[in-house]
Amino acid sequence: MLSLSGELDLASAPILESEIESSDLAAAAMVVLDLRELSFIDSTGLRVLLAAHERSTERGQQFALTQGSEQVQRLLSITRVSEHLRIMASPDELLV
Amino acid sequence: MASSTREPTSVNAQPTSSAAMDLLVEAGAVLATSLDPATTMGQVARLTVPRLADLCVIDLRNDDGSIRDVAVAAADTGIARELEDLRARYPLDPRGEHPVARVIRTGEPQLLPTMTSELLRSFAQGSEHARFMIEHDYHSAVVAPLSAGERTLGALSVLRLGDGELYRNDDLELVCELARRAALAIDNARLYSEVRDVEQRLAAILVNLAEAITVMDERGRLVFANQAAADLLGAANPAELTSAVPGTIMPRFLVLDESGRELDLEAMPGRRLFKGEQPTPLLVRNIVRATGEERWLNVRSSTVTDPDSERILYVVSVFENITEVKRAQLAESFLAEASRLLAASMDYSETLQRVAQLAVPQLADWCAVDLVNDRGEIERVAVHHTDPVRLALAERLSRTHRPALDEPTGVPEVIRTGRARIFTDLEPETLAASARDTEDVELLRAIRATAVIIVPMAGASRTIGAITLVSSDSVRRLSRADLALAERLGRRAGTAVESARIYTERTQIAHTLQRALLPESLPDIPGGEIAAKYSPAGELNDVGGDFYDVFGYDGDRWMLVIGDVCGKGARAAGVTALARHTLRAAAMSGQSPAEMLATLHEALRRQPMGADLCTVCLVAIERASEHRRLTVTLAGHQPPLLIGPSGETTQIGKPGTLLGVVDPIDISESQAEMHAGQTLLLYTDGVPEAGRPSGQLGEQGLLELCRHAPRLTLSDLLEQIERAALQSAAGRLRDDIALLALRLTDHGPSRHQSRSELVR
Repeated sequence: MLSLSGELDLASAPILESEIESSDLAAAAMVVLDLRELSFIDSTGLRVLLAAHERSTERGQQFALTQGSEQVQRLLSITRVSEHLRIMASPDELLV
Repeated sequence: MASSTREPTSVNAQPTSSAAMDLLVEAGAVLATSLDPATTMGQVARLTVPRLADLCVIDLRNDDGSIRDVAVAAADTGIARELEDLRARYPLDPRGEHPVARVIRTGEPQLLPTMTSELLRSFAQGSEHARFMIEHDYHSAVVAPLSAGERTLGALSVLRLGDGELYRNDDLELVCELARRAALAIDNARLYSEVRDVEQRLAAILVNLAEAITVMDERGRLVFANQAAADLLGAANPAELTSAVPGTIMPRFLVLDESGRELDLEAMPGRRLFKGEQPTPLLVRNIVRATGEERWLNVRSSTVTDPDSERILYVVSVFENITEVKRAQLAESFLAEASRLLAASMDYSETLQRVAQLAVPQLADWCAVDLVNDRGEIERVAVHHTDPVRLALAERLSRTHRPALDEPTGVPEVIRTGRARIFTDLEPETLAASARDTEDVELLRAIRATAVIIVPMAGASRTIGAITLVSSDSVRRLSRADLALAERLGRRAGTAVESARIYTERTQIAHTLQRALLPESLPDIPGGEIAAKYSPAGELNDVGGDFYDVFGYDGDRWMLVIGDVCGKGARAAGVTALARHTLRAAAMSGQSPAEMLATLHEALRRQPMGADLCTVCLVAIERASEHRRLTVTLAGHQPPLLIGPSGETTQIGKPGTLLGVVDPIDISESQAEMHAGQTLLLYTDGVPEAGRPSGQLGEQGLLELCRHAPRLTLSDLLEQIERAALQSAAGRLRDDIALLALRLTDHGPSRHQSRSELVR
C-alpha cells in the first residue's frame, strides 16, 4: 500500500511515477493507493493514477484506491474513472 | 567621585583656656588637611609638645589586637627616638596593665596625676622599659581613647616629665576632646581609603570595559571616560575628553534616530535625566562627520545622587556599540526586501529600477545598474539619486557616455573581472587618477562622490552587469563594512536578471506556440455573442494543456469546444493540436458529438507514446423555433453553466468518461434549451482550482460571480472571472485557465435567420 498526501499535480506526479516502479510495489500481489490524505488531484495526477493502474494490471497485480478528498472524488467521478477502478471506503475493506 | 567622610561634630567640652582652644583649632586644621593617618597623627602629637606635654605618644590598635605606636613627639627628640626603638623591641601587651593597653581595652580615659616608680614598674614591658621611664622621670600622664563610634581605635597619651605641672581633670577633658577629633580623622581616613579602594577597583573595571562609559556632571562636563569612550568619541585618550570644553565634542557627530531623523542632544538619556525625566535606553545612529563612519549605539544612562539631598550629582552613560548586529539586521532586511522586489516581477528593467530606489538612501546616495546587452555593450538600465536635479544630470551623462567593456577601470573592470571594487575618501585628484575617462570624473564630480562601491552582478556562468553605489551628500559614507552587503545584492540581482531573461525567452516561445494552438479569432455566431479568455499557468511558463475552439458546421450548426490535455510542454501541445483537428474533422464528416469524442478517444489511443488523456466538453448549438437547442457532451470535463437572466445557474450535461486511457468510454449527450438573454459558460478546472490549496476560488466562488452575469457584458464577465481566479492564485497560476462563453441576444434569431437564408 502506498499512501499519498497533499497534492498530486504536475509538480508531484513524477514522485508517484517512480514509487510505482519501486521493487516493493512491483513484487506485491496487490497495489493499493491510499488517497485518504490526498487533498487535491489534477488531470496530470489522474493520468499518473491511471498509468499506475495500467502498470499493475500488466504485472498481474490487483489495483485499488481508497477514497480521497471531496475534490479527488469529484474529479474521479466527473471523468468516470471511478467506474473503472476499485475504490474502497477504507483500507479495512481488504481484511474482509 | 563622592566619598562620604564625616565632618567632626561640634565641641562638647568646654576648654578652660584660650590656649586649649587654640590647640583644638590648630588640631582641627591639621586633621582637615590630610587624610593620611600616620602623617596626621604625627602632626597632632607635635601640636601637644610642649604646650600640653613633654612627651606625646599615639598608639593604634591593629586588627589582630596588638598595639603599635604611630606617632611619638617629645621636646627632646632623643627621648622620642629612644622610645620608638624601645617600643619596637618591647611591644605593649594588649592584655597587660600598661595604661595604654587598659584604655584601649576599656575605652575609658585615664588620668595619672602622679606616677611613682612602683607604679611605673608595675606596668613596664620589662626592666629596660621600666628603667627608661624612671630614668626620664615619667611624672604625670593622661591617656585618652581614640574612639570612633563603638570602637576604640587606639589611645592618645600625654606625659609630663620631671617636676612639671601635674595633669588635672581639665587636662583630661582637653586630651579626650583632642583624641575624639583625631579618632574621627583616622576613621575618615579609613573610610576614605576604603572608598578609594572601591573606586580604584571600579575604575579598573570601567577602564577595561569594552563598552564606552562616560560620567558627566550637572554642568555637562565629562568627569570620567574610559578608553572605549575615547575611541568611540574620536579622542586619543580619556584625558582628552575629560579636559575638553563642554559642548565641543558632540558637534563632531551627526546623531540620528532609528528612522534617520536628526536628534537633538537634549533628547539623549543623560540630558533627560538631569531634567528629571525617566528616559528609556535610546538607539541612535551616530555618524562621524569627519570620516562618514556610521555606528549604531544603544545609550543607557543612570544617575549618581547625593544620598542626603537626592540631587543628581553625575550621570553615568553606557554606549553599547551594536553596529555589527544592527548592520547585519539591516542588511538582512534590505536583502529580503530587494529579493522580494526582484522576485515580484519578471520585467527586470523595472525591477532593477526599484532595487536602485531601495538602495537610495538606505545604503547610498546614488545607485546605478549597468547590464551587458546582447551586443556586448554596457547599458545603464537603472539609476537613482536622492536629488532629482543631479539624477537628471547623471542620466544625461550616462546617456552620452557609454563605457566600452575593455576600459581598464570602473564598471567595465568589475564586469570583466567579476570582482568588486571599493573607493573611499575620494578627492578630485584621486578621481582623476582612478577614472581614465573625463566623463567618469565629471559624473563623479557632478554627484559629489565621496566613496564608491562597484559590485558585479553574477549570472550562472558570467558577470552580466554591475551595481554602482555612491555616497555623496549624506554624512554617512560607504565603507568596507558595506561591501559584503553590496556584493550579496549584486549576486541576487544577477541571478534574478538571468532567470528573468531565460523566463522571458521561454515565455515568448510558449506564447507563440500557444497562439498557434488556439483559434486566432472567434467566429460570429448569428444571434449570439461569443467571448473567450485564456491564461497559461505563469510559473511553469510552458505551453498549457487547456484549449478551446468554436466552429460552424453542417449549415447553421455551431460547435463550442473546451478541453484540457493533461501534462504540459511540447507533448501536451501536440495532443492539443490533435484534439482540435480531430474534433473539427469529425464534425465536418457528420458525426454526432458522442461519436466525435469516440473518434478523438481512438486517436489518442493510437498515439505512439502511450496513454494520453484529455477531457473535453462539446456544446453543439442549433436553431429551434423560439430558442436554441444545446447538445452537451462531456468526456471527463466539468459541465458547462447556463446562466439565466437573473443570474441563476444550471449545470448541463451528464458526466462522461475522460478520453484516451480508460476503455470502453461511456459518453452520453444531453439536450437543453437556451433562450435569449441567457449565457452559457464553459470553463476548465483551472478556474475553480485557482489559488488552491488555500483561498481557492472554488465552484461556489464561480457561481457567485455568475450571479452578476446578466448585468455585465460578456467580455466583462470573463474578465471578472479571470481576475478573481488570478487574485485567488495571487498572480501565480499553477494550472491554465480557459473560459468560453456564449450569450444569446434578444433580437438575434429572426434577423440572423433571414441573413443565413440570404447566404444560402
